Amino acid sequence: MAMKKKRYALVIDSRKCINCKACAVACKAENDVPVGNFRNRINEERKGEYPKLSIDFEPEQCHHCAEPSCVRVCPTGASWQRKDGIVLVNDGECIGCRYCMLACPYDARYFHEEDGVVGKCTLCSHRVDKGEIPACVATCPSKVRVFGDLEDATSRIHELLATRRYRVKEPQTGNGPQLYYLL
Amino acid sequence: MHEFNWGLLIVVYLFLGGLSAGLFFAAGLANYLTVDDKPVYARIARMGALLAPWPVAVGSGLLILDLGNWYRFYKLFTHFRWESPMSIGSYLLSIFTAITFVYLFSWLTAEERAWLFGKVPASWKQVHRLNVDISSWREKIAMVGFPFSIGVGIYTGVLLGAVSARPFWNTNLVAQMFLFSALSSGAAALLLAMVLNRKSPIEKHETKFLVTLDVVFISLELFIILPYLIHGQLSSLAVKQALSLILGGPYTFVFWGPFMVLGLLVPLAIEVYELAPSIFKGREFHGSRNLALTAAGLVLMGGFLLRYIFVYAGQVSSFRQMGMLN
Repeated sequence: MAMKKKRYALVIDSRKCINCKACAVACKAENDVPVGNFRNRINEERKGEYPKLSIDFEPEQCHHCAEPSCVRVCPTGASWQRKDGIVLVNDGECIGCRYCMLACPYDARYFHEEDGVVGKCTLCSHRVDKGEIPACVATCPSKVRVFGDLEDATSRIHELLATRRYRVKEPQTGNGPQLYYLL
Repeated sequence: MHEFNWGLLIVVYLFLGGLSAGLFFAAGLANYLTVDDKPVYARIARMGALLAPWPVAVGSGLLILDLGNWYRFYKLFTHFRWESPMSIGSYLLSIFTAITFVYLFSWLTAEERAWLFGKVPASWKQVHRLNVDISSWREKIAMVGFPFSIGVGIYTGVLLGAVSARPFWNTNLVAQMFLFSALSSGAAALLLAMVLNRKSPIEKHETKFLVTLDVVFISLELFIILPYLIHGQLSSLAVKQALSLILGGPYTFVFWGPFMVLGLLVPLAIEVYELAPSIFKGREFHGSRNLALTAAGLVLMGGFLLRYIFVYAGQVSSFRQMGMLN
Protein backbone atom coordinates (compact mmCIF):
# COMPACT_ATOMS: atom_id res chain seq x y z
CA MET A 1 0.00 0.00 0.00
CA ALA A 2 1.41 3.36 -0.97
CA MET A 3 1.95 5.68 1.98
CA LYS A 4 0.06 8.93 1.78
CA LYS A 5 2.23 12.00 1.82
CA LYS A 6 2.39 13.67 5.21
CA ARG A 7 3.34 17.17 6.34
CA TYR A 8 3.36 17.68 10.06
CA ALA A 9 2.89 21.15 11.49
CA LEU A 10 1.72 22.95 14.60
CA VAL A 11 -1.00 25.54 14.94
CA ILE A 12 -0.56 27.79 17.96
CA ASP A 13 -3.34 29.80 19.50
CA SER A 14 -1.12 31.99 21.62
CA ARG A 15 -4.00 33.93 23.15
CA LYS A 16 -4.81 30.81 25.15
CA CYS A 17 -1.28 30.66 26.59
CA ILE A 18 -1.07 31.35 30.33
CA ASN A 19 2.73 31.05 30.54
CA CYS A 20 2.63 28.02 32.85
CA LYS A 21 5.64 26.56 31.00
CA ALA A 22 4.28 23.03 31.26
CA CYS A 23 5.25 22.56 27.60
CA ALA A 24 8.89 23.40 28.34
CA VAL A 25 8.97 21.06 31.31
CA ALA A 26 7.23 18.23 29.47
CA CYS A 27 9.68 18.61 26.61
CA LYS A 28 12.69 18.46 28.92
CA ALA A 29 11.36 15.36 30.65
CA GLU A 30 10.39 13.63 27.42
CA ASN A 31 13.58 14.37 25.51
CA ASP A 32 16.19 14.49 28.28
CA VAL A 33 17.20 18.06 27.40
CA PRO A 34 20.30 19.20 29.35
CA VAL A 35 20.03 21.70 32.18
CA GLY A 36 20.11 25.25 30.85
CA ASN A 37 18.89 24.30 27.38
CA PHE A 38 15.35 24.31 26.05
CA ARG A 39 13.75 22.97 22.91
CA ASN A 40 10.73 25.19 23.30
CA ARG A 41 10.12 28.44 25.08
CA ILE A 42 7.50 31.07 25.74
CA ASN A 43 8.28 34.57 24.50
CA GLU A 44 6.89 37.38 26.60
CA GLU A 45 6.05 40.76 25.22
CA ARG A 46 5.08 43.52 27.63
CA LYS A 47 3.26 46.60 26.48
CA GLY A 48 2.28 49.79 28.23
CA GLU A 49 2.63 50.86 31.86
CA TYR A 50 0.53 50.23 34.92
CA PRO A 51 -2.46 50.45 35.00
CA LYS A 52 -2.72 50.26 31.23
CA LEU A 53 -0.58 47.29 30.41
CA SER A 54 -0.70 43.90 28.79
CA ILE A 55 1.58 40.93 28.37
CA ASP A 56 1.45 38.61 25.40
CA PHE A 57 2.72 35.06 25.69
CA GLU A 58 3.84 33.31 22.57
CA PRO A 59 5.15 29.74 22.64
CA GLU A 60 7.88 29.01 20.14
CA GLN A 61 10.08 26.12 19.09
CA CYS A 62 11.61 24.81 15.87
CA HIS A 63 9.37 25.86 12.99
CA HIS A 64 10.21 22.71 10.98
CA CYS A 65 10.51 24.99 7.96
CA ALA A 66 9.68 23.99 4.43
CA GLU A 67 13.07 25.31 3.26
CA PRO A 68 15.17 24.95 6.40
CA SER A 69 18.33 27.08 6.22
CA CYS A 70 19.91 24.99 9.00
CA VAL A 71 19.77 21.92 6.76
CA ARG A 72 21.17 23.85 3.82
CA VAL A 73 24.28 25.10 5.61
CA CYS A 74 25.16 21.85 7.42
CA PRO A 75 28.52 20.67 6.03
CA THR A 76 28.06 16.99 6.87
CA GLY A 77 24.35 16.44 6.30
CA ALA A 78 23.81 15.84 10.03
CA SER A 79 20.92 18.30 9.93
CA TRP A 80 18.29 16.73 7.73
CA GLN A 81 14.59 16.79 7.01
CA ARG A 82 12.22 13.85 6.90
CA LYS A 83 9.73 13.53 4.10
CA ASP A 84 6.98 14.45 6.56
CA GLY A 85 8.72 17.80 7.20
CA ILE A 86 10.30 17.10 10.59
CA VAL A 87 13.81 18.62 10.81
CA LEU A 88 16.23 16.49 12.83
CA VAL A 89 19.90 16.33 13.79
CA ASN A 90 21.71 13.05 13.34
CA ASP A 91 23.93 13.10 16.44
CA GLY A 92 26.43 10.64 14.99
CA GLU A 93 27.18 12.91 12.03
CA CYS A 94 27.16 16.26 13.87
CA ILE A 95 30.66 17.68 14.29
CA GLY A 96 29.46 20.55 16.48
CA CYS A 97 30.40 23.46 14.19
CA ARG A 98 27.20 25.33 15.19
CA TYR A 99 26.77 26.82 11.72
CA CYS A 100 23.12 25.69 11.79
CA MET A 101 22.55 27.68 14.99
CA LEU A 102 23.65 30.85 13.23
CA ALA A 103 21.57 29.99 10.17
CA CYS A 104 18.35 29.53 12.15
CA PRO A 105 16.30 32.76 12.10
CA TYR A 106 14.33 31.58 15.15
CA ASP A 107 17.18 30.66 17.52
CA ALA A 108 15.51 27.29 17.90
CA ARG A 109 18.68 25.26 18.35
CA TYR A 110 21.03 24.83 21.27
CA PHE A 111 24.50 23.43 21.75
CA HIS A 112 24.72 20.31 23.90
CA GLU A 113 27.99 21.08 25.70
CA GLU A 114 28.50 17.59 27.05
CA ASP A 115 27.98 15.70 23.81
CA GLY A 116 29.43 18.47 21.62
CA VAL A 117 26.48 18.31 19.25
CA VAL A 118 23.56 20.56 18.39
CA GLY A 119 20.13 19.74 19.76
CA LYS A 120 16.66 20.86 18.77
CA CYS A 121 12.95 20.10 18.81
CA THR A 122 12.21 16.81 17.05
CA LEU A 123 8.46 17.38 17.13
CA CYS A 124 8.71 14.26 19.31
CA SER A 125 9.20 12.17 16.19
CA HIS A 126 9.53 9.05 18.36
CA ARG A 127 6.01 9.63 19.66
CA VAL A 128 4.59 10.78 16.34
CA ASP A 129 5.84 7.60 14.66
CA LYS A 130 3.80 5.60 17.18
CA GLY A 131 0.71 7.62 16.35
CA GLU A 132 0.95 9.80 19.45
CA ILE A 133 1.17 13.58 19.66
CA PRO A 134 4.23 15.61 20.80
CA ALA A 135 4.73 15.99 24.55
CA CYS A 136 4.31 19.79 24.50
CA VAL A 137 0.97 19.40 22.74
CA ALA A 138 -0.24 16.63 25.03
CA THR A 139 0.60 18.41 28.25
CA CYS A 140 -0.74 21.90 27.51
CA PRO A 141 -3.59 22.59 29.96
CA SER A 142 -5.16 25.32 27.85
CA LYS A 143 -4.74 23.52 24.51
CA VAL A 144 -2.61 26.22 22.89
CA ARG A 145 -0.93 23.88 20.42
CA VAL A 146 -2.66 21.75 17.84
CA PHE A 147 -0.56 19.12 16.11
CA GLY A 148 -1.49 17.47 12.84
CA ASP A 149 -0.90 16.58 9.24
CA LEU A 150 -1.49 19.41 6.77
CA GLU A 151 -2.07 16.90 3.97
CA ASP A 152 -4.94 15.32 5.86
CA ALA A 153 -8.04 17.29 4.92
CA THR A 154 -9.98 15.84 7.85
CA SER A 155 -7.47 16.99 10.49
CA ARG A 156 -8.14 19.66 13.07
CA ILE A 157 -5.22 21.83 11.94
CA HIS A 158 -6.42 21.67 8.37
CA GLU A 159 -9.77 22.97 9.52
CA LEU A 160 -8.22 25.71 11.68
CA LEU A 161 -6.01 26.98 8.89
CA ALA A 162 -8.93 26.91 6.46
CA THR A 163 -11.28 28.85 8.70
CA ARG A 164 -9.14 31.08 10.91
CA ARG A 165 -6.75 33.91 10.18
CA TYR A 166 -3.13 33.19 11.04
CA ARG A 167 0.43 34.39 10.60
CA VAL A 168 3.88 32.82 10.46
CA LYS A 169 6.96 34.48 11.94
CA GLU A 170 9.62 36.16 9.80
CA PRO A 171 8.47 34.71 6.47
CA GLN A 172 10.87 37.13 4.73
CA THR A 173 13.81 34.87 5.56
CA GLY A 174 12.44 32.48 2.96
CA ASN A 175 12.52 29.49 5.31
CA GLY A 176 8.84 28.67 4.94
CA PRO A 177 8.13 28.28 8.68
CA GLN A 178 5.48 25.75 9.69
CA LEU A 179 4.39 27.08 13.07
CA TYR A 180 1.08 28.75 12.38
CA TYR A 181 0.01 31.39 14.90
CA LEU A 182 -3.72 32.06 14.99
CA LEU A 183 -4.68 35.71 15.15
CA MET B 1 22.10 38.67 26.65
CA HIS B 2 22.65 37.02 23.34
CA GLU B 3 24.85 33.96 23.36
CA PHE B 4 27.75 33.87 20.93
CA ASN B 5 28.07 30.54 19.20
CA TRP B 6 31.14 31.52 17.26
CA GLY B 7 33.85 33.16 19.31
CA LEU B 8 37.43 34.31 19.20
CA LEU B 9 38.81 31.07 17.73
CA ILE B 10 36.67 31.61 14.64
CA VAL B 11 37.79 35.25 14.43
CA VAL B 12 41.44 34.21 14.61
CA TYR B 13 40.88 31.48 12.04
CA LEU B 14 39.13 33.82 9.59
CA PHE B 15 42.02 36.24 9.98
CA LEU B 16 44.76 33.61 9.56
CA GLY B 17 43.05 31.94 6.61
CA GLY B 18 42.77 35.29 4.88
CA LEU B 19 46.35 36.17 5.79
CA SER B 20 47.68 33.04 4.08
CA ALA B 21 45.57 33.74 1.02
CA GLY B 22 47.01 37.26 0.89
CA LEU B 23 50.59 36.10 1.43
CA PHE B 24 50.32 33.53 -1.32
CA PHE B 25 48.72 36.00 -3.70
CA ALA B 26 51.37 38.68 -3.11
CA ALA B 27 54.19 36.12 -3.33
CA GLY B 28 52.83 34.64 -6.53
CA LEU B 29 52.37 38.07 -8.04
CA ALA B 30 55.90 39.13 -7.05
CA ASN B 31 57.22 36.04 -8.80
CA TYR B 32 55.58 37.04 -12.07
CA LEU B 33 56.76 40.64 -12.18
CA THR B 34 60.03 41.13 -13.97
CA VAL B 35 62.04 44.15 -15.08
CA ASP B 36 64.13 43.55 -18.19
CA ASP B 37 63.40 39.83 -17.82
CA LYS B 38 64.95 39.82 -14.36
CA PRO B 39 62.82 38.73 -11.40
CA VAL B 40 63.42 41.85 -9.30
CA TYR B 41 60.97 40.83 -6.59
CA ALA B 42 62.24 37.28 -6.15
CA ARG B 43 63.10 37.89 -2.49
CA ILE B 44 59.53 38.98 -1.78
CA ALA B 45 58.23 35.93 -3.59
CA ARG B 46 60.48 33.67 -1.56
CA MET B 47 59.54 35.29 1.74
CA GLY B 48 55.86 35.02 0.90
CA ALA B 49 56.23 31.40 -0.13
CA LEU B 50 58.01 30.57 3.11
CA LEU B 51 55.38 32.31 5.25
CA ALA B 52 52.14 31.47 3.43
CA PRO B 53 51.42 27.92 4.67
CA TRP B 54 51.75 28.56 8.40
CA PRO B 55 48.87 30.91 9.24
CA VAL B 56 46.33 28.78 7.39
CA ALA B 57 47.72 25.59 8.95
CA VAL B 58 47.43 27.05 12.45
CA GLY B 59 44.03 28.54 11.61
CA SER B 60 42.66 25.22 10.37
CA GLY B 61 43.86 23.63 13.59
CA LEU B 62 41.95 26.23 15.62
CA LEU B 63 38.90 25.65 13.48
CA ILE B 64 39.00 21.94 14.29
CA LEU B 65 39.51 22.67 18.00
CA ASP B 66 36.43 24.89 17.96
CA LEU B 67 34.21 21.99 16.92
CA GLY B 68 32.05 20.34 19.55
CA ASN B 69 33.53 17.00 18.51
CA TRP B 70 36.94 17.86 17.07
CA TYR B 71 37.85 14.26 16.28
CA ARG B 72 34.88 14.08 13.94
CA PHE B 73 36.34 16.74 11.64
CA TYR B 74 37.11 14.03 9.08
CA LYS B 75 33.37 13.86 8.45
CA LEU B 76 33.74 17.14 6.59
CA PHE B 77 35.60 15.14 3.96
CA THR B 78 33.34 12.12 3.83
CA HIS B 79 30.51 14.35 2.60
CA PHE B 80 30.27 16.93 -0.09
CA ARG B 81 27.39 19.35 0.20
CA TRP B 82 27.51 22.02 -2.47
CA GLU B 83 24.80 24.08 -0.76
CA SER B 84 26.88 24.46 2.40
CA PRO B 85 29.60 27.14 2.25
CA MET B 86 31.40 25.35 5.06
CA SER B 87 31.55 22.11 3.10
CA ILE B 88 32.91 23.82 -0.02
CA GLY B 89 35.23 25.88 2.17
CA SER B 90 36.79 22.91 3.90
CA TYR B 91 37.74 21.34 0.57
CA LEU B 92 39.00 24.67 -0.75
CA LEU B 93 41.03 25.23 2.41
CA SER B 94 42.66 21.77 2.28
CA ILE B 95 43.62 22.09 -1.37
CA PHE B 96 44.94 25.60 -0.82
CA THR B 97 47.01 24.53 2.20
CA ALA B 98 48.50 21.67 0.19
CA ILE B 99 49.39 24.06 -2.65
CA THR B 100 51.05 26.53 -0.26
CA PHE B 101 53.25 23.76 1.13
CA VAL B 102 54.23 22.58 -2.36
CA TYR B 103 54.96 26.19 -3.25
CA LEU B 104 57.11 26.58 -0.15
CA PHE B 105 59.00 23.43 -1.14
CA SER B 106 59.64 24.80 -4.61
CA TRP B 107 61.41 27.81 -3.06
CA LEU B 108 63.76 25.83 -0.83
CA THR B 109 67.42 25.87 -1.81
CA ALA B 110 69.36 22.64 -2.29
CA GLU B 111 70.95 23.06 1.17
CA GLU B 112 67.60 23.64 2.83
CA ARG B 113 66.19 20.55 1.18
CA ALA B 114 69.25 18.54 2.24
CA TRP B 115 68.71 19.75 5.83
CA LEU B 116 65.02 18.90 5.72
CA PHE B 117 65.54 15.41 4.33
CA GLY B 118 68.42 14.90 6.75
CA LYS B 119 65.73 14.68 9.46
CA VAL B 120 64.13 11.72 7.71
CA PRO B 121 65.61 8.26 8.47
CA ALA B 122 67.75 7.08 5.57
CA SER B 123 65.83 3.81 5.33
CA TRP B 124 62.67 5.66 4.25
CA LYS B 125 63.66 5.50 0.59
CA GLN B 126 60.26 6.46 -0.79
CA VAL B 127 60.35 9.73 1.15
CA HIS B 128 63.86 10.53 -0.01
CA ARG B 129 62.75 10.17 -3.61
CA LEU B 130 60.73 13.34 -3.05
CA ASN B 131 63.93 15.34 -2.62
CA VAL B 132 63.82 16.89 -6.07
CA ASP B 133 64.34 20.39 -7.34
CA ILE B 134 60.96 21.75 -8.45
CA SER B 135 62.01 25.40 -8.65
CA SER B 136 61.12 25.44 -12.35
CA TRP B 137 57.51 24.74 -11.37
CA ARG B 138 57.17 27.87 -9.26
CA GLU B 139 55.22 29.87 -11.80
CA LYS B 140 52.94 26.97 -12.62
CA ILE B 141 52.23 26.32 -8.95
CA ALA B 142 51.52 30.02 -8.42
CA MET B 143 49.15 30.00 -11.40
CA VAL B 144 47.25 27.00 -10.03
CA GLY B 145 47.28 28.51 -6.55
CA PHE B 146 45.90 31.96 -7.49
CA PRO B 147 42.28 30.86 -7.87
CA PHE B 148 42.50 28.87 -4.67
CA SER B 149 43.99 31.78 -2.71
CA ILE B 150 41.25 34.07 -4.01
CA GLY B 151 38.77 31.32 -3.23
CA VAL B 152 39.93 31.05 0.38
CA GLY B 153 39.92 34.84 0.75
CA ILE B 154 36.38 35.07 -0.61
CA TYR B 155 35.02 32.00 1.10
CA THR B 156 35.65 33.34 4.60
CA GLY B 157 33.25 36.14 3.68
CA VAL B 158 30.78 33.84 1.93
CA LEU B 159 30.66 31.67 5.05
CA LEU B 160 29.09 34.62 6.85
CA GLY B 161 27.33 36.23 3.88
CA ALA B 162 25.38 33.09 3.04
CA VAL B 163 23.50 33.12 6.34
CA SER B 164 20.17 34.65 5.42
CA ALA B 165 19.06 34.76 9.05
CA ARG B 166 21.71 37.36 9.98
CA PRO B 167 21.03 40.65 8.19
CA PHE B 168 24.40 42.09 9.22
CA TRP B 169 26.15 39.44 7.09
CA ASN B 170 23.61 38.70 4.45
CA THR B 171 24.91 40.94 1.68
CA ASN B 172 27.05 40.14 -1.30
CA LEU B 173 29.59 42.78 -0.25
CA VAL B 174 30.96 40.89 2.75
CA ALA B 175 32.77 38.34 0.58
CA GLN B 176 34.64 41.03 -1.38
CA MET B 177 35.33 43.02 1.77
CA PHE B 178 36.96 40.00 3.36
CA LEU B 179 38.87 39.21 0.18
CA PHE B 180 40.47 42.64 -0.14
CA SER B 181 41.11 42.78 3.58
CA ALA B 182 42.85 39.39 3.25
CA LEU B 183 44.96 40.54 0.31
CA SER B 184 45.99 43.74 2.06
CA SER B 185 46.83 41.80 5.24
CA GLY B 186 49.03 39.53 3.14
CA ALA B 187 50.90 42.45 1.59
CA ALA B 188 51.26 44.08 5.01
CA ALA B 189 52.56 40.89 6.64
CA LEU B 190 55.13 40.54 3.86
CA LEU B 191 56.21 44.13 4.33
CA LEU B 192 56.52 43.56 8.07
CA ALA B 193 58.54 40.38 7.60
CA MET B 194 60.85 41.93 5.00
CA VAL B 195 61.50 45.04 7.08
CA LEU B 196 62.14 43.03 10.24
CA ASN B 197 64.53 40.67 8.46
CA ARG B 198 67.85 42.24 9.43
CA LYS B 199 69.98 39.60 7.75
CA SER B 200 69.06 40.79 4.29
CA PRO B 201 67.65 44.31 4.59
CA ILE B 202 64.71 45.22 2.38
CA GLU B 203 65.51 47.29 -0.67
CA LYS B 204 63.67 50.42 -1.70
CA HIS B 205 62.06 48.99 -4.82
CA GLU B 206 60.75 46.09 -2.73
CA THR B 207 59.22 48.37 -0.13
CA LYS B 208 57.69 50.41 -2.91
CA PHE B 209 56.18 47.32 -4.52
CA LEU B 210 54.58 46.08 -1.28
CA VAL B 211 53.37 49.54 -0.27
CA THR B 212 51.81 50.05 -3.71
CA LEU B 213 50.12 46.67 -3.51
CA ASP B 214 48.75 47.51 -0.08
CA VAL B 215 47.46 50.92 -1.16
CA VAL B 216 45.55 49.27 -3.98
CA PHE B 217 44.01 46.61 -1.73
CA ILE B 218 43.15 49.02 1.11
CA SER B 219 41.50 51.40 -1.35
CA LEU B 220 39.44 48.58 -2.81
CA GLU B 221 38.46 47.48 0.68
CA LEU B 222 37.48 51.03 1.60
CA PHE B 223 35.32 51.33 -1.49
CA ILE B 224 33.49 48.17 -0.51
CA ILE B 225 32.93 49.19 3.10
CA LEU B 226 31.42 52.52 2.08
CA PRO B 227 28.85 50.93 -0.26
CA TYR B 228 28.18 48.35 2.46
CA LEU B 229 27.21 51.15 4.84
CA ILE B 230 25.27 53.15 2.25
CA HIS B 231 23.50 50.14 0.83
CA GLY B 232 22.60 48.97 4.33
CA GLN B 233 21.07 52.32 5.18
CA LEU B 234 18.95 52.18 2.04
CA SER B 235 17.95 48.55 2.58
CA SER B 236 15.08 46.89 4.42
CA LEU B 237 14.45 47.63 8.08
CA ALA B 238 16.16 44.46 9.35
CA VAL B 239 19.41 45.37 7.58
CA LYS B 240 19.16 48.96 8.75
CA GLN B 241 18.68 47.77 12.33
CA ALA B 242 21.59 45.39 11.97
CA LEU B 243 23.82 48.21 10.74
CA SER B 244 22.86 50.27 13.76
CA LEU B 245 25.15 47.91 15.70
CA ILE B 246 28.07 49.83 14.19
CA LEU B 247 26.20 53.11 13.76
CA GLY B 248 25.42 53.96 17.36
CA GLY B 249 25.21 50.45 18.79
CA PRO B 250 27.72 48.51 20.89
CA TYR B 251 30.24 48.00 18.07
CA THR B 252 30.33 51.61 16.94
CA PHE B 253 33.56 52.57 18.66
CA VAL B 254 35.58 49.53 17.65
CA PHE B 255 34.34 49.88 14.06
CA TRP B 256 35.04 53.56 13.56
CA GLY B 257 38.01 54.07 15.88
CA PRO B 258 40.38 51.12 15.92
CA PHE B 259 39.17 49.60 12.64
CA MET B 260 38.22 52.40 10.23
CA VAL B 261 40.62 55.11 11.37
CA LEU B 262 43.58 53.18 12.81
CA GLY B 263 43.31 50.01 10.76
CA LEU B 264 42.40 51.49 7.40
CA LEU B 265 42.68 55.26 7.00
CA VAL B 266 45.91 55.87 8.95
CA PRO B 267 47.92 53.15 7.15
CA LEU B 268 46.45 54.32 3.85
CA ALA B 269 47.52 57.89 4.64
CA ILE B 270 51.02 56.74 5.64
CA GLU B 271 51.44 54.70 2.49
CA VAL B 272 50.14 57.43 0.23
CA TYR B 273 52.46 59.90 1.98
CA GLU B 274 55.34 57.56 1.26
CA LEU B 275 54.42 56.98 -2.36
CA ALA B 276 53.17 60.38 -3.44
CA PRO B 277 56.52 62.26 -3.79
CA SER B 278 57.97 59.53 -6.00
CA ILE B 279 54.85 59.38 -8.15
CA PHE B 280 53.88 63.05 -8.50
CA LYS B 281 57.16 64.89 -8.12
CA GLY B 282 59.52 62.31 -9.54
CA ARG B 283 61.59 62.25 -6.36
CA GLU B 284 63.29 59.13 -5.17
CA PHE B 285 61.21 56.79 -3.02
CA HIS B 286 62.81 56.99 0.42
CA GLY B 287 60.91 54.21 2.16
CA SER B 288 61.03 54.97 5.88
CA ARG B 289 61.49 51.81 7.91
CA ASN B 290 59.43 53.03 10.87
CA LEU B 291 56.53 54.23 8.74
CA ALA B 292 56.48 50.92 6.90
CA LEU B 293 56.41 49.03 10.20
CA THR B 294 53.63 51.23 11.58
CA ALA B 295 51.48 50.97 8.48
CA ALA B 296 51.93 47.21 8.17
CA GLY B 297 51.19 46.63 11.86
CA LEU B 298 48.05 48.75 11.71
CA VAL B 299 46.80 47.00 8.57
CA LEU B 300 47.15 43.62 10.26
CA MET B 301 45.32 44.91 13.33
CA GLY B 302 42.57 46.28 11.08
CA GLY B 303 42.23 42.95 9.28
CA PHE B 304 41.78 41.18 12.59
CA LEU B 305 39.28 43.73 13.90
CA LEU B 306 37.19 43.57 10.73
CA ARG B 307 36.66 39.87 11.35
CA TYR B 308 36.10 40.41 15.04
CA ILE B 309 33.39 43.00 14.40
CA PHE B 310 31.69 40.94 11.74
CA VAL B 311 31.67 37.67 13.64
CA TYR B 312 30.35 39.20 16.85
CA ALA B 313 28.00 41.90 15.56
CA GLY B 314 26.64 39.53 12.94
CA GLN B 315 25.54 37.05 15.55
CA VAL B 316 23.62 39.71 17.44
CA SER B 317 21.74 40.80 14.33
CA SER B 318 18.52 38.99 13.48
CA PHE B 319 15.16 39.47 11.89
CA ARG B 320 13.49 39.62 15.27
CA GLN B 321 13.04 43.05 16.67
CA MET B 322 16.36 43.85 18.20
CA GLY B 323 16.35 44.58 21.92
CA MET B 324 18.55 47.64 21.78
CA LEU B 325 16.02 49.47 19.63
CA ASN B 326 13.09 48.99 21.98
